[in-house]
Amino acid sequence: MDQVKEIFLRKNRCMGCHSCELACAVAHSASKNMYEAMGEVPLPKNRVYVEAVSENLPIPVLCRHCEDAPCMHACIAGAIRRMEDHSLFTDADKCIGCWTCVMVCPYGVIGRHLDAQKAYRCDRCPDLEEPACVSACPTKALVYQSVTTFSKDKRRHAAEELSRGEGK
Amino acid sequence: MAGHLNHVVIGASAAGLSAACAILKTTPRARVRVVSEEKDAPYFRPMIPFIISGKKGSSDVKMVGQGPYVQEGFELFTNTRVTRVDAGQKRVITDSGQIVSYDRLLIASGGKPYLPPEIEGVDVEGVYALRTLSQARAAAKRSSNVTHAVMLGGGLLNLKAAFSLLEKGLEVTLVVYSPEILSQLMEPEDAVMIRNALEQAGLKIMTGCSARKIVDGSKGVCSVVLDDNREIACEMVFIGKGVRPCVDFLGDSGIEIDSGVVVDRYTKSSMNDIFAAGDVAVTFDPITGERIVTGLWTNAAEMGTCAGKNMAGCPTAYSGTFGVMNATQVAGLPFVSMGVVHPGNNEHEIHKNISDTSYRKLVFSKDGNYLLGLVMIGDIKNAGLYRFIMREQRNIRFLKEKIIGQSLTSADVMYG
Repeated sequence: MDQVKEIFLRKNRCMGCHSCELACAVAHSASKNMYEAMGEVPLPKNRVYVEAVSENLPIPVLCRHCEDAPCMHACIAGAIRRMEDHSLFTDADKCIGCWTCVMVCPYGVIGRHLDAQKAYRCDRCPDLEEPACVSACPTKALVYQSVTTFSKDKRRHAAEELSRGEGK
Repeated sequence: MAGHLNHVVIGASAAGLSAACAILKTTPRARVRVVSEEKDAPYFRPMIPFIISGKKGSSDVKMVGQGPYVQEGFELFTNTRVTRVDAGQKRVITDSGQIVSYDRLLIASGGKPYLPPEIEGVDVEGVYALRTLSQARAAAKRSSNVTHAVMLGGGLLNLKAAFSLLEKGLEVTLVVYSPEILSQLMEPEDAVMIRNALEQAGLKIMTGCSARKIVDGSKGVCSVVLDDNREIACEMVFIGKGVRPCVDFLGDSGIEIDSGVVVDRYTKSSMNDIFAAGDVAVTFDPITGERIVTGLWTNAAEMGTCAGKNMAGCPTAYSGTFGVMNATQVAGLPFVSMGVVHPGNNEHEIHKNISDTSYRKLVFSKDGNYLLGLVMIGDIKNAGLYRFIMREQRNIRFLKEKIIGQSLTSADVMYG
């Protein structure tokens, strides 16, 4: 079985271009086309947010699909469930817009669709090969990998740094 | 052999089912029996106002198989009330005389509505203290044939029920003893925006008065008499005066009770192998350190999960919860209230930010370095982030400017 992939951040690479936000909104539009999406009512919503800790430190934040997800346990309507690929899914048909999930999400990444009175979040673009934000990232700050692959890359990087430090 | 332990759970709502799922997730071969006094299969209790409005039917609010409640393998016994816990023999006795043995027991019997003894006639037909699905169905039925309802109590449950009735075209009067609605969740001046929205939506609100008597007519309730002898004609009355822990069956069990079941940080009661979670349990507020009993679904689910892990032999500390914590949307206005929201004296630093469409009150510690509580109305963006820093009791000296300026993001909290 393929290992479950997640969206990881390599934060030193993000230059704050906001391409991920735009691609995310388009991927969650009706038309899937940027020019048409801009005219849609309601306006398509992005589920990744590039936040600036300081001027020089932009950080994209998005749903972590937490293993022990506070939102899923807090939901009073049973609208949030775990999918087979381990991602969390908010069922808009069941969501009643009580915003309990917004109250408990420690990352602040659950959005409120005010017209529809529904909560929304990253769904890792289940219909795409890789999430739209990852594909759109010009510096590959966002990557879509399994934990195993991501940590292997980290180790390799650490090994390189070490060997460089020793002048080899 | 932890895997084969025999667990009994009293109560099949948020805490009970969360615990059952957690036990089976941790130890899949454990035996878990869940006992519920209600006839209905477990359901999402906070959804019952939607039963009254007719927006949801009973089958839409079922818990098993929905949300996080997908763990299979527990046995469910509905319509079964536990009448006694025999901690010495490690068994419980049910209303039909059945004796059920346990290795580990969870008390998740929840709360029951508080009926103020000073109100006469609470048992008249057409009077509801809304708690169960079957009561909601009965109220829905009656509400289809009447024109005026009186709600006693200005809390969230009553406000939600009031809205369901307004949607059905009833005239609804809310009678509140406190000077303002939602007095448990905010100070009077915080509630003004919500009150205005409620009144605009058609709710009649009377504050500073209480009911003395509910009058029985030929077809059930016909009016409510207030303490100043004013009389309001109505065919339905809803009593929403909060809930109290269901502990009456624990009288001779030896378990320490302080209004609810007292538990330690690992959700264990004063007796070995007996745990408690949810509305029946006495927990603590991480900010004030005080013992508290809460009546919130979200808390019950979280504490139940924690208790289940402990029962299954995986020690898990419960981090407590704020005595005040709630989020919802009434009359088109979303709001969140949590932590210290009634500062009351000069021991706190308070910041308010008020616009036409939003209201925000932040309560900091006296030295200004800790966020202790907040009320957000209209704009509740990032509320969970504030809950996190409050619960962690994080020193926010360097984040304060962003907190007050409403620009704090999780990036600041993680990497700032």
